[in-house]
Amino acid sequence: MRIGVFICHCGSNIAGTVDCAKVAENARMFPDVVLAKDIMYTCAEPGQAAIEAAIHEHKLDGVVVASCSPRIHEPTFRRTVERAGLNRYMFEMANIREHVSWIGKDKEANTNKATELVQIAVAKLRNDKPLKAKSFDVNKRVLIIGAGVAGIQAALDCAEGGIQVVLVEREATIGGKMAKLDKTFPTVDCSACILGPKMVDVAQHPNITLYAKSEVEDISGYVGNFSIKIRKRATYVDWDKCTGCGACTEKCPAKKTPDTFNELVGPTTAINIAFPQAIPKKAVINPEHCRQLTKGKCGVCAKVCPTGAINYEQQDEIITEEVGCIVAATGYDLMDWTVYEEYGGGRYPDVVTSLQYERLLSASGPTEGHIKRPSDGKEPKNIVFIQCVGSRDRSIGRPYCSGFCCMYTAKQAILTKDHIPDSKSYVFYMDIRANGKIYDEFTRRAMEEYGTEYIRGRVSKIYPDGEGHLIVRGVDTLLGEGVEIKADLVVLAVGVEAAKGSPKLAEKLRISYDSYGFFLESHVKLKPVETNTAGVYLAGVCQGVKDIPASVAQGSAAAAKVLGLFSKDKLENDPQIASVDMKRCVDCGKCIRCCPFGAIKEVEFRGKMYAQVIETVCQGCGLCTSTCPQGAIQLSHATDNQILAEVNTLCQC
Amino acid sequence: MSITRFVKPEGLPAFLAHLSKDARVLAPVVKPADKRSVVFEPWKEGKEFTLEKATVPAKAAVLPQCETLVSYRKVKDKANPQNVTLELDDTPQAETTVVFAARPCDARGYVTLDRPYLKGPIADPYYKARREKLTVITLTCNSGCNTCFCHWVGGGPSSPEGSDILMTELSDGYILQGITPKGDALLEGSGLDDGADRFKEMEDVRKAAWATLVKAPNLKDAPAKVAAKFTDVDFWTRETDRCLSCGACTYFCPTCYCFNITDEGEATSEKGGRRLRTWDNCMSPLFTREASGHNTRMEKALRMRNRVSHKFSTYPENWGTFSCNGCGRCISNCPVSLDIRQIVLDAINADKAAK
Amino acid sequence: MPVLNGKELRIVGFLCNWCSYGGADTAGTARAGQPTDLRIIRVPCSGRIDPLFIVKALLNGADGVLVSGCHPRDCHYAAGNFYARRRLEVLKQFLPVLGIDDRRFEYTWVSASEGQRWQHVVQTFTKRIHDLGPAPKLEDPEPLLKVVDMALTSLRPLGTGQKNKLDELKAAIKAKLPELEVVIGWQQGYDAARTVPLFMRTPEDVDKLVWGPFNVNNPAVYLPQYKGKKVGIVVKGCDAKSVVELLQENLINREDVTIFAMPCEGTLDMARVNQELGRYTTIDKVEYDEVGVTITADGKEHRFCMNDFAQGKCYGCTMPTAVLSDTLIGTPTEVKPGPYTPPELALLDSMSLDERLAFWRGQMERCIRCYACRNACPMCVCRDYCIAESREPHWISQEDSTRDKLFFQTIHAMHLAGRCTGCGECQRACPVGIPILALRQQIARAVGQLFDGYKSGVDPEAVPPLLGYEVEEKNIHEREWK
Repeated sequence: MRIGVFICHCGSNIAGTVDCAKVAENARMFPDVVLAKDIMYTCAEPGQAAIEAAIHEHKLDGVVVASCSPRIHEPTFRRTVERAGLNRYMFEMANIREHVSWIGKDKEANTNKATELVQIAVAKLRNDKPLKAKSFDVNKRVLIIGAGVAGIQAALDCAEGGIQVVLVEREATIGGKMAKLDKTFPTVDCSACILGPKMVDVAQHPNITLYAKSEVEDISGYVGNFSIKIRKRATYVDWDKCTGCGACTEKCPAKKTPDTFNELVGPTTAINIAFPQAIPKKAVINPEHCRQLTKGKCGVCAKVCPTGAINYEQQDEIITEEVGCIVAATGYDLMDWTVYEEYGGGRYPDVVTSLQYERLLSASGPTEGHIKRPSDGKEPKNIVFIQCVGSRDRSIGRPYCSGFCCMYTAKQAILTKDHIPDSKSYVFYMDIRANGKIYDEFTRRAMEEYGTEYIRGRVSKIYPDGEGHLIVRGVDTLLGEGVEIKADLVVLAVGVEAAKGSPKLAEKLRISYDSYGFFLESHVKLKPVETNTAGVYLAGVCQGVKDIPASVAQGSAAAAKVLGLFSKDKLENDPQIASVDMKRCVDCGKCIRCCPFGAIKEVEFRGKMYAQVIETVCQGCGLCTSTCPQGAIQLSHATDNQILAEVNTLCQC
Repeated sequence: MSITRFVKPEGLPAFLAHLSKDARVLAPVVKPADKRSVVFEPWKEGKEFTLEKATVPAKAAVLPQCETLVSYRKVKDKANPQNVTLELDDTPQAETTVVFAARPCDARGYVTLDRPYLKGPIADPYYKARREKLTVITLTCNSGCNTCFCHWVGGGPSSPEGSDILMTELSDGYILQGITPKGDALLEGSGLDDGADRFKEMEDVRKAAWATLVKAPNLKDAPAKVAAKFTDVDFWTRETDRCLSCGACTYFCPTCYCFNITDEGEATSEKGGRRLRTWDNCMSPLFTREASGHNTRMEKALRMRNRVSHKFSTYPENWGTFSCNGCGRCISNCPVSLDIRQIVLDAINADKAAK
Repeated sequence: MPVLNGKELRIVGFLCNWCSYGGADTAGTARAGQPTDLRIIRVPCSGRIDPLFIVKALLNGADGVLVSGCHPRDCHYAAGNFYARRRLEVLKQFLPVLGIDDRRFEYTWVSASEGQRWQHVVQTFTKRIHDLGPAPKLEDPEPLLKVVDMALTSLRPLGTGQKNKLDELKAAIKAKLPELEVVIGWQQGYDAARTVPLFMRTPEDVDKLVWGPFNVNNPAVYLPQYKGKKVGIVVKGCDAKSVVELLQENLINREDVTIFAMPCEGTLDMARVNQELGRYTTIDKVEYDEVGVTITADGKEHRFCMNDFAQGKCYGCTMPTAVLSDTLIGTPTEVKPGPYTPPELALLDSMSLDERLAFWRGQMERCIRCYACRNACPMCVCRDYCIAESREPHWISQEDSTRDKLFFQTIHAMHLAGRCTGCGECQRACPVGIPILALRQQIARAVGQLFDGYKSGVDPEAVPPLLGYEVEEKNIHEREWK
């Protein structure tokens, strides 16, 4: 072979602690290396041009670049060598930045280590073979999981782009958290007024198939051709017949059913429609509280339903949908704040979450937009807002900032004043984070125009005074003195956590998630929408906390990714997949048994059975290769010989 | 009248010490284990040795299990890495060696190996270098053994063929008899006592050994009869039903001389690359597997046919004598006790059996 | 490039591309300082890491090997790390039997977001390796030759099996023979003091069938080559386990194989029998009684009491009768399991790590790579395509180094993980008597301890443990990195 090695300085990022010229000099001694040089920035245009030129000039048939992580620039350089006529897989990278220059200051050791990393890259390259991708058809349909504002945005953008969308929502109605909000900051727009039309668009769009009250049960396949099993939960109402007239909800005798849409502020009926603008506007029976389903006698709704839609026998249904890619937009849940004993641990009815407060503020909420405190229905005059309940708190394992609480608290303080002009709001905060467009101005208005009193400090205790008030005791760290407020209502800005079941879904999607359950993007800065699984994209808070505009933006971004993917009629598979050497195969089936993707099948050839890899299904994990004792099945680009070449380079004494 | 010397058992270490002054002495050493074995190892002062028949013959003295034929290194010019110079070394690795206490079958093995390696159209330089530096001191057998059949194939418990010195155990010590001028010279310089007065006793012991042997069948017709069976695949299939296709029979054989050549290592590495010659094994399917994957001897029957035919038919055709010395190691070391004697006899008696 | 003298030790890392390699990147991006020893090899998935890469590294100069993958449940490939976890844990428990300190190998899970954790793992592991110092090389110690203690007590009385109804068995085989291509059993070998496998095709062949303490060979080794053909096999209890394991692995079909069984009372350790017999010309006679055999060779009588001369495996045998058979002649003997460590393993257990290394050096030196161990192994199904001799993949050098020889034994043992039934044929077949069975025994012990007492070759329906996984492993626990 004729190998060229290029050592990147990455400005001073690498060159600061690695003697790049020395690494290049050492690399010249490696087998088959005919050229080795150090370059200021290999990834920049001149750097790539230099590599291309060297390939032509020195007739290189393999290239090693030692620079940053291959997770960042491997695709870049593969394209570079391809432009110069090489097969893109005749390229290897040595990571001498993240794994060398950035983690050690000892220049001699770093230079030595970088040299060795180049050496193993050369060793691997010498065992590389040109690989060719195979193309396959794309199913131009997308699955979007979660129909909050991010999922809705993604669905509408895709649908408008002519893509068939399968939208799956766990709850009975789409809209997610935004549908529960009364107003949105910083414009104090009516949430329902801006989201409502989008929800209707979803319902009416010919390209969108909506499965509400449904969950993704199983995902198989690969980019371009996923097969999805969707569990459509029993609603006990035939939605084809239900007109959403609401007659059933009026007559339902089980009137003490917890109302999850209203965040448990007030009860609802066992059969109900989440809220007037619900999409789909269909009734759902809560089987745990329905008298017919729990006790076997009632049947009122069935009697009153004018279309005969009630079906107490209904079962969950499994529906299979075939799609080409997936957008996960599963949003978030609020953390369980009752771990905070100092806030009463959930014992005081007049300590509510901010989302519950939204429902109290909302005209479509249980109090019809009148702020009434839960304990006695009285209008509160003194209202205390506490920030960072379950955010930025290491003691409960939630060190991250929930991002939008500062803003909605300011909004709620403003709305409170609008609703009850003689009220007084207090906000206990740690820091005000208001770094969006017109955000800081907005919080200023809450303080200055609406007279909200902001107290920098934590609340140490809340307790009832026995006279219907809650005593909120805290400290004002700016004044350096204790504070005690007699409050009628306390609103907690409860922190965000990944939606329940996120890790399970991540496993089905074969994507990663962080220690808090948020899905992991491909690159924190440069690939915030992609995941490491081809054809799976992220939108909204499931990827990390963000507010509505950011969620909408990411929803649109995910849609753009989907449309981009579907702009091609055929996709190319990653040729880094396994293949079987039939001569060596004894048909023991161990690979078939282990393959997580069902990508290996038995085939007959000249009267004998062999294993064979289904090229479009194989994902290239290599589990089969390490399972096959005789090495009959080898993962291209990570063959036994390639890894052995690396091991042998490092271990040869 | 050849030169003879006598040595008491307790005098042997001093004799070995004397030998090892100028040579590597390979002596049988016991490897204790549940299944103990005896192997030839370089002897050094103080090391225990045995005079038992070795499990592994001392073939490696002339044909090592693995030897480097050529070592090569590519040296790059630092200034211009495209300039590469190649360093080659194909000097045979050959040490002056004395094999001590081989058995007559082992010693005859060297003669069997000499024919293809030295007397063919081209003499193998590596083999030649080692063979020329080899002296063989052989201990004659005092009795037969259940797997030995040297006397079937032209040898015997005191056959001198291939030995430079024959050593025979007497009641109180060992008599060493020079067979070749090399052996004579060695004995003359050994400082051992003269053994001429024990010569008669030696001859008696050797005769007594012959008397312990079970009567040998006549293998005169073996080459023709084995050759006649060549196309009878059923015959070979039946004979090899239980064969496991391992390499024990060939690797423990003092006369099997097939080898494989492989390159190992990296020309540009510090150690350089090595072209190795290693023992090969015609019982293995790899022996005849072609690059295409096609294999002319897929079936173990065909592989065994090759081994038996080579020893009892084709080698005799070329060199006029069997290439089996009857040491019996292929039988005693076989995990399924496959018996080459039986195969040859079955071939000879096939006609009778058919009748 | 050599390891920086005095500063660094040789530490090799195998990291999955998706999580841990990303975690190491995250650590780098955060400038999370780490010792410089580690050299990372990027692989797609921890499931790609053949434990043999690790052994290869450790035998050839690595002072430490660190493997890291995605957290369980978080595998980019859904289940790769679940398989990896089992295989790596088995390896970790295997290494000490070779004389390699298992602290030199560690595996862990680091996600792409856990830069800090990665830093901590590297710091901790590097410190651990520096505390251990450079790894001893196989060639360093003086060879140590120790002999297995065969003075064992059997879980049951051993005998010669002469009361078995051999005639009934022969009749049963003859009755079935017309439907079968061949029935495999035993016949007398070249003298009366040994038997060899018998391939019965005619009633006359069946008459040659023998049953007794000389029936050491495991006939199951021949079965895979007959896959797809109707064959019969006569088995002892231990042989049946191999048959079951072959069934478990789809290497033979149940409907094709007719199993004939009789209760076994033990077989002789032919190594010790032959040693006791010494050099002889002819066997005059062999006489059996209930507890032993008397062999007269060259006029000299030798007495072999089964309790003293049985194969090691027979002393701890709890399944003298086939677990699975079509024709069973006789009544199965019940044996209560009791404490039993195979003698080869007990010998290794009694040694320090350094002694074990010296032991293997001393043992493997005399290996001449005839591969009788492999070919006698009923579970070695690669046969013609064993990686010991292939170039593609090229696992082993053809150089006759002790290291490569030991590495082959490791390959064999690792490939037998969760599959070896302990029949002992590998060791019995070894012409130079290397106690290689100990390596397989350690693997089997580790598998048993990790997977609820799993025993290979007992249940034809069971999934061999390394071909499966549990999401929550009962006996494999994540290591603390403190």
